[in-house]
Order: sequence, then structure tokens, then C-alpha cells
Amino acid sequence: MRLLIVDDSSIMRRIIEKNLKDYDIEIIGMAADGDEAVKLVKGEMPDVITLDITMPGMDGLACLDQIMAIHPAAKVMIITALSDKLTGLRALDKGARGFLYKPVNAKDLANAFDRLLKRNKPTIE
Amino acid sequence: MKTSKAEFDATCNLFINSVNNYFRHLTEIDSELNVPYLKESEGLLLKDYTGMIGISGNRKGFVYISSNREMYEDLIKIFIGIDEPSEEDILDMAGEISNVVAGNVRANLGANFMISVPLVFKGMPDQLKIPDDVTIYVIPINWNNHEAFVVIGLQ
Repeated sequence: MRLLIVDDSSIMRRIIEKNLKDYDIEIIGMAADGDEAVKLVKGEMPDVITLDITMPGMDGLACLDQIMAIHPAAKVMIITALSDKLTGLRALDKGARGFLYKPVNAKDLANAFDRLLKRNKPTIE
Repeated sequence: MKTSKAEFDATCNLFINSVNNYFRHLTEIDSELNVPYLKESEGLLLKDYTGMIGISGNRKGFVYISSNREMYEDLIKIFIGIDEPSEEDILDMAGEISNVVAGNVRANLGANFMISVPLVFKGMPDQLKIPDDVTIYVIPINWNNHEAFVVIGLQ
């Protein structure tokens, strides 16, 4: 399983990386904004993508549209502080397979990835 | 600006709950809150490092969280195990806390409470201008023996 981590916070990117070490996952790249993420998706075609929404330049929802156009089979998990239900529903409608609200701890990530990798139906944590 | 007690309580409670949830969920150490109050815009409360979020949509203003380096160092140590984080890590941590605390109040205020990406800075930038038409709420907190301020400015 090849993973791309997209978040404008380097601390958050490293939290995700650290807490997924026990999974059979190869991290193929990290991106700090939507433009960088789209380039990496085009070049690497990752199986799984964690995607923040509030980022400089292209935000996560616009980025999700482009990812789905390039690589519709990608399993995208939104990880965001925007905790209103409407944002979650919009992301799922655009093709995200999972949605996780920050603050995110190790247990949250593990539960969400267990579900994401075992199921194809969209979920909101 | 005049603010009713009900509005003051409602606004403070939203952010208090968000801050409490952040620290409890990620560190299992509760934050202690001192009595919130209203403040004039002159002489902002800033500690060493600050993450500030702009608010737009149906409310306009800002939220920032400001604390000393040691609080961010402790959080980074807990989160990723780094003992000596870089200056960029400290600023990043300041921005991420502010982002999460502000973003989480959308659970109550909805998607029209729009937040910006964090503006992060050390000390008191010369060019930082706070609008004079906002009500400024100050929530002093203490987490793990570190003092911090959550400051909310809303029109």
C-alpha cells in the first residue's frame, strides 16, 4: 500500500507518519499544499492519501476534485479541523472514503485506517 | 463594543470546550482555565510564539493562541518524540493548535464560520494591526504548568 500525506503542518505530517509505522504502508511522499499534492498524485498514483482541507493555495476540497479526476481509485481520507458535518458530507460526496476530525491521536488514526483499508464504503469518524 | 453576558458566555464556552478537548484528547493532561474577560484592543496579550487564524463568513475577526516556547516543546515531544525542535517546528505547532481550536468550533457555528490558514509569528510583529471594531475575549489557560492565552476578536 502506497501512501501520500497532505497537510500544511509539518508536525501533523510527522504525526501521521509516526502513527502508521505498524502498517504495511510505504510513504511515497508528503505535500504541504494542494498543488504539490496533485503533482505527486500524477507522478506516483498512490493507493491511499490523507488530505487536510485548510491549506494555502488550493485547499483540500479543490485538491480532492483534481485527485478524483486523475486517480479515482485512490482511497482518500480527509483529516481536518473543520468539524462541521456539511464539510464532511461535501468531501464524501466528492469521493473521499473516510473523514477524520482533528485533534487526531494514535488510536483515532489506527481505527480510521483499519476501516479505510478493509472497507470501500465512505465513513465519517 | 458592548457585549451581552449571554453572548460573552456562549463565545467563551465554545472556545473553552475546543481548547479543553484539544489538550485532553491529545495529551491526557487537562488544561486549567482562568476566568475569561473582555479586553480593549490596545496592548494585546502575546507570549513568545503565536498562531493566529483569520475568521470570515458570517462572523469576522480572528482567534489566536499564544504561549512560550516550552509549551510547544512539550507538545512536540508528546506528539513526535523530538527533544529539541527547530524554530520552524515551534511555529508550526503554534499554527496547528490555533487551526484545530478554531476549526473545531464549526461543529457548533457551522460551515459559514470560515477560517484562514494560520499566521504564525514570534514576539510582536510591527505590522500586526488589530481592528478596533471587534470585541476581544481573553481566555487565560494553563496546561502542564505552561501559561497560554486564547484570544478571540469578533465583530
